[in-house]
Amino acid sequence: MAGPINPRLLREAGATRGFIIGVGATGVAQSFLVIAQATIIAGTVTRIVENRSTDGVWTAVGWLLAVFAARGVLTWLTSVLAHRASAGVKSSLRRRVLAARLANPGSQTSTASIVTVMTSGLDAIDAYFGKYLPQFLLSATVPIIVGVAVAIHDLTSLIIVVVTVPLIPIFMVLIGRTTQTQVARRFKVQLRLANHFADLVAGLPTLQVFGRARAQAKGLAASEGESRRHTMGTLRVAFLSAGVLELFATLSVALIAVTIGFRVLAGDLDLNTALYVLVLAPEIYIPIRMVGVHFHDSANGDAAANAAYAIIDAAEAQPTVDDDSDATTAGDSGDLLQLDNVTYRYPGSDEDAVAGLSLAVRPGEIVALAGTSGAGKTTSLNLALGLLNPDEGRVLVDGGKHLTTQRGPDWREQVAWAGQIPGLLGPTVADDVALGLPAGQAVADHTDLLRDALDRVGGESIPLDHPVGDDGEALSAGERRRVAMARALLRVEQGGARLLLLDEPTAGLDEAREAQILWTLRDLGVGVLVVSHREAVLAAADRVVDMTAPAASLPEGAK
Amino acid sequence: MSDVNESLVTPLVTTETTDEQASRQGKGSVSDVRSLVVQLIGELPNGWGRLLGAVALSVAATGASVALLAVSAWLLSYAAEHPPALYLLVAATAVRTFGTTRGVFRYFERIVSHDVALRMQSALRMNVYDRLARTTLLGARRGDLLIRVTADVESIMDVIVRVALPFASASIVLLGTSIILGFFDFWSAAALLVCSVLAGIVLPLIAQRMSARTDASSVPARADLAQVVHASARATTDIVAYGRVEQQLAQVAEADARLRAAESKAAWTQGLAAGSQLFIMGVAVAAALVLGGHAVATGAMPGRELAVLALTPLALNESFADLAKAAQTMTHASTALRRIIELLTAPPVGVGDRVVEPVQPAETGSESDVAPAEPEAPSASAVLELDGLAIGWPNNPVIVDDLSLTVKPGQAVAVTGPSGIGKTTLAATVLGLIPPRAGELDVAPSVGYLAQDAHIFTTTISENVRIGNPFASEDDVVEALRRAGLPYLAPERIVGEDGNTLSGGEARRVALARILVISPRPALTLLDEPTEHLDAETAQKLMDDIWATTLPEGAMLVLTHDPGVVARCDREVKLGE
Repeated sequence: MAGPINPRLLREAGATRGFIIGVGATGVAQSFLVIAQATIIAGTVTRIVENRSTDGVWTAVGWLLAVFAARGVLTWLTSVLAHRASAGVKSSLRRRVLAARLANPGSQTSTASIVTVMTSGLDAIDAYFGKYLPQFLLSATVPIIVGVAVAIHDLTSLIIVVVTVPLIPIFMVLIGRTTQTQVARRFKVQLRLANHFADLVAGLPTLQVFGRARAQAKGLAASEGESRRHTMGTLRVAFLSAGVLELFATLSVALIAVTIGFRVLAGDLDLNTALYVLVLAPEIYIPIRMVGVHFHDSANGDAAANAAYAIIDAAEAQPTVDDDSDATTAGDSGDLLQLDNVTYRYPGSDEDAVAGLSLAVRPGEIVALAGTSGAGKTTSLNLALGLLNPDEGRVLVDGGKHLTTQRGPDWREQVAWAGQIPGLLGPTVADDVALGLPAGQAVADHTDLLRDALDRVGGESIPLDHPVGDDGEALSAGERRRVAMARALLRVEQGGARLLLLDEPTAGLDEAREAQILWTLRDLGVGVLVVSHREAVLAAADRVVDMTAPAASLPEGAK
Repeated sequence: MSDVNESLVTPLVTTETTDEQASRQGKGSVSDVRSLVVQLIGELPNGWGRLLGAVALSVAATGASVALLAVSAWLLSYAAEHPPALYLLVAATAVRTFGTTRGVFRYFERIVSHDVALRMQSALRMNVYDRLARTTLLGARRGDLLIRVTADVESIMDVIVRVALPFASASIVLLGTSIILGFFDFWSAAALLVCSVLAGIVLPLIAQRMSARTDASSVPARADLAQVVHASARATTDIVAYGRVEQQLAQVAEADARLRAAESKAAWTQGLAAGSQLFIMGVAVAAALVLGGHAVATGAMPGRELAVLALTPLALNESFADLAKAAQTMTHASTALRRIIELLTAPPVGVGDRVVEPVQPAETGSESDVAPAEPEAPSASAVLELDGLAIGWPNNPVIVDDLSLTVKPGQAVAVTGPSGIGKTTLAATVLGLIPPRAGELDVAPSVGYLAQDAHIFTTTISENVRIGNPFASEDDVVEALRRAGLPYLAPERIVGEDGNTLSGGEARRVALARILVISPRPALTLLDEPTEHLDAETAQKLMDDIWATTLPEGAMLVLTHDPGVVARCDREVKLGE
């Protein structure tokens, strides 16, 4: 079970820590107002009952309304402060998660999990800061302050409080432990059943094509019934802890009420004090009860934060290579790029993605990388981009300088790259092609250049103002590759890049266009490292480096 | 949004208008949602009984906590008059009982209400599934709609557990408390009722109206953030390779700031509502002291009852706090449920399920409820013949007109054209999922269809393959997998969520196995963008295998824009020319 407070999340609050302290401070102020409220109500009722007159009631009511108004303002303030704290933490985590992703593009964290963590996932932190944390702070302060206020007037009632209050967290932990193992045991099967509907609905087009959609309704009804029985089984256990908590809290108040009732009867206690204790007693238990009610918010927020930290930690844990001083001792070989017996293995994998690869690219030379799927061709390009540090061997650039991920940004200013499944940023095709222009150039000033680059890589039919996105109207995978190629071309011609890295640049093109692109590459006069399995590309290259899969048994697409 | 297909094809547009509509005309949507809820309860066995049981338990739990404080107050005041101890025993027992029963009632209320809400969710899911199964879903952009439907359906739980139940039980407790206190002192009970209505009903509704406006403004902010994050996560290498890291982080920060501003307004409203509720209950206490105090002073009411009047509002405050949240929950839930209602009430498009040739005569009964749109027998030499065909979704414009082509056994014919020209519409028409708009369509009775995004279900490989032919034996499945190039895949292996334990190429090969397991083999197979999203090498191998397994025994119609695939075909037909 996670601790009651996630220390890392609190540290994350950093600049917004003031807001959290503010939430705690409003809690303390609330306790004193609650005490004032109890004093006024008990005093006024007692005075009226004993004197049979309403003398001074208006003054008392005036004070009472002022107290309630102040409590209302504090309630509002708590909500606003808690939001500030949570918004600050969310913004900070969003930035750090994305920065981590961008610092480590070679990592294998899935796109979907990053998107989920950064959008809806982090919203769980709202409930953590908005509901759980304020209640937790209140539960640590209010019972003590109010308890002291009770004790000043009636020590006997305090004894009941002191006996019952610690029982609540003890029982909560005990019950929480049992329920958690039970819930965890059921969770997997429950999740599978719950997802059956989503799975069937997402697959409806497929089912309809095979005429199987309506036939699945019976199976769905059965799994829905089973899912409900499982869920209810879990809930019966999960609600138990909240139920016991509530039972204890109200029973304790009832116990105090009955006890003081008989003490008033016996003349040991006056009505004023008795009413005062009665109004305060529930206030002692409310924050503790609420911590229990919002405990799942804490668990969800904790989980969301941990998912974010997992991504951040993975990026920070990436091994850094010592920036050795003999950066140029490899001697000036004249090679633009040299991979010297390079081996790389992804963290957590038990096979090398690239094993003992050596190759060199000189200016004006086209080198092709060929080999079966899973041979590590794309990983090799990531090594050449300085996105990954090799486990063994060296990547030397620019006539023998040792390339590490730390030096990556400087090196990449001289490199143009076009991936096989390029990501586009948009909003339009023109914006994406213009990424190849030197920084600071306005897109609108260079539409001719953009158009020309697109035309020369087989993208004549793609309008520059076409929107880029994931929906149905968007570009096909082939069209996206054209855009990425045009971008890389501009990076060489306008941005002064000296090395061009290409991953399957002619996939899905007919022979005429493929030939046209190869001519264009030759004309550029820069060093080109191209991954391809197309005959024409391999034939046009000055040299072909054949990478064979280190594990021939790997299924396709597993690179 | 009268036309279902429009809402299916362009769900993004639908979302925005629906959200705006919901925020402007919350009234209509609430009454729609109410009739949906009533209908679903009617569909449950003893639905009303279960719901009323939940309400009764909730009233008992809330009532117990109010009664606990009220009776305790009476107990103390009466004890101060020093009556014989015997007179206090009943009250003392009542206090202990309320102290015990409150937690117990609350526990059972949660169980019963969640049970009835889950049953309603299941009923709604069945209705939605049934309705979706009867409308043709093949086509662009449906992915969004289908994913959203599953989330939208869950809103029915919120409507029951977080809205209907708290409102019903709080109203009953408020009214009941006011009536009982009315016997003590009419005017302070009236003041309590007025304050309760203000704090419990009027304030939540005002808060809902205020937050509906901020919610509407946070929807596009949230969408923008998701879009920027999505693009950044997908294009990581591009961003890094082209040195755009700082610009991208700035874009996310900007989108984040706008969402933050919208959410900040919501927190402001919520805090204001909760603070005002507290203050109004303070007014109720003050009114009880002034009006009840007057009654005591004039002798109209015994002194011991004043504490009851003054302390009861304090106990009521807790149940109000949930109501402000409930009103906001209703805004979100009714937006989601409106989309569901639209979907349930829209007229179906096409036939939904395809009419599939019975594979085994003995089992035809199960599929006979489908109205057979029996295609005419194709001319002896062709498996597909289109003559002057016009295609388009029902109630939508014709996209392609006067299309003629013939596919003969052993032939592969490519249909090309830029994205969005109507290739998938042609597939739906040839498959008989939607009717042709004009012209002649003769197609072989058995057609296989391989889509770029064929869904892989979270079940065994074997069950996934059997979608092609539910009567296939284990050996048939193994053979189909072998021919599809997946000899190493164990049929009993369970595929993970969204098929994520299969690579893109493997998923498409499982889809191919679905076609290969059909017996007898289909005379025509439709390939819809078969190489999309695959890497070049995987695509080439897959095409090699498809050509080797599918073509010799049948014919193929290939919808593609991949010139490499077109080159393999015997003929190319260009759409839109």
